[in-house]
Amino acid sequence: MNRTDFMEQLERLLQSITPAEREEALQYYNDYFDDAGAENEQEVIEALGNPARVAENIKRDLSENVGENVSRGAQPSDRAVIEYGKTGNEQNSFYEQDSIGQVPENKGESSRNQEHAPAPTAKKGMPGWAIVLITIAAVFASPILFGLAVGLLGLMIGVLATWFALIFTSAVVMLSMFIVLVVLCAVGVQCLVVDPLVGIALIGGGLICGGIGILFLMLTVALTGIVTPAVFRGIGRLFRGKKKEAEV
Amino acid sequence: MVFNTGAALLDAIVLAVVSKEPEGTYGYKITQEVRQVIELSESTLYPVLRRLQKDDCLEVYDMECAGRNRRYYKITGSGWAQLRLYESEWRQYSDKITGLFEGRI
Repeated sequence: MNRTDFMEQLERLLQSITPAEREEALQYYNDYFDDAGAENEQEVIEALGNPARVAENIKRDLSENVGENVSRGAQPSDRAVIEYGKTGNEQNSFYEQDSIGQVPENKGESSRNQEHAPAPTAKKGMPGWAIVLITIAAVFASPILFGLAVGLLGLMIGVLATWFALIFTSAVVMLSMFIVLVVLCAVGVQCLVVDPLVGIALIGGGLICGGIGILFLMLTVALTGIVTPAVFRGIGRLFRGKKKEAEV
Repeated sequence: MVFNTGAALLDAIVLAVVSKEPEGTYGYKITQEVRQVIELSESTLYPVLRRLQKDDCLEVYDMECAGRNRRYYKITGSGWAQLRLYESEWRQYSDKITGLFEGRI
């Protein structure tokens, strides 16, 4: 068989397809022979196989294309994604040709899924870089955010500790003053017998200390019972107020 | 080669080969270049080129060469988009398989 025989046979075998498609195919194979060069004619014919196989390849693809064009017409905007779904389908039919018994049922499934195929692809495509970006941002920002949070927490603990230390100090001073009052009064009463003036002076000092103790008692009570709840309530109101503003 | 080349991968390979030539290239040359990468029967390529052309991934034009008209294939904008899609899909696919082989997965 030479080139002319090959082309004539091919043309005859392609009678069933549209003239335009036939022209395309014949031009392609004519070009192919030209580009291979006359000296390679026999090699090309051998490599192409018999014209029936070449024609079969062309026709099978055309009949597949007809079906695909319908589904593509339904969603013309989303070309690349649909293309992807389509090729997935074709890949299955490819396997089917090649061997494996379990694939035929797969094929039916995949052609049914063809409409659904684009969705997972679109979902899968986006997050790839988005997740990476978000992760990078989070990783870089985390030391700053973490540091800030820990710092704020520390500050709050510090303020609270100082405040309670203040209350504790005032309570301790109050207690000491009352102890001094009791001790001085006891010593003063004993001294009254020996030296009334010293005794009275001691009792007087004790009473002064008692007075100071009462003042600190009042301070302690005021700090714990009145100021502390008021401050916390104030902070609470501040946050609630801000929230309301934000809502408005 | 023990692995089959599916239709999608074949499309991707052809698009990649054609995209290397900004001015376009012709059937015989495409066949030879594809055959450097995968085993391929010479009659397989025409349907692929024709389909890619119908899908607007390739455009064709005729140019005179040595006294005859030769058909050239050139990649289009949507052909580039399609090739990028194939490339990223391939990267994911081959990374996973390689990862499995090397015990990373």
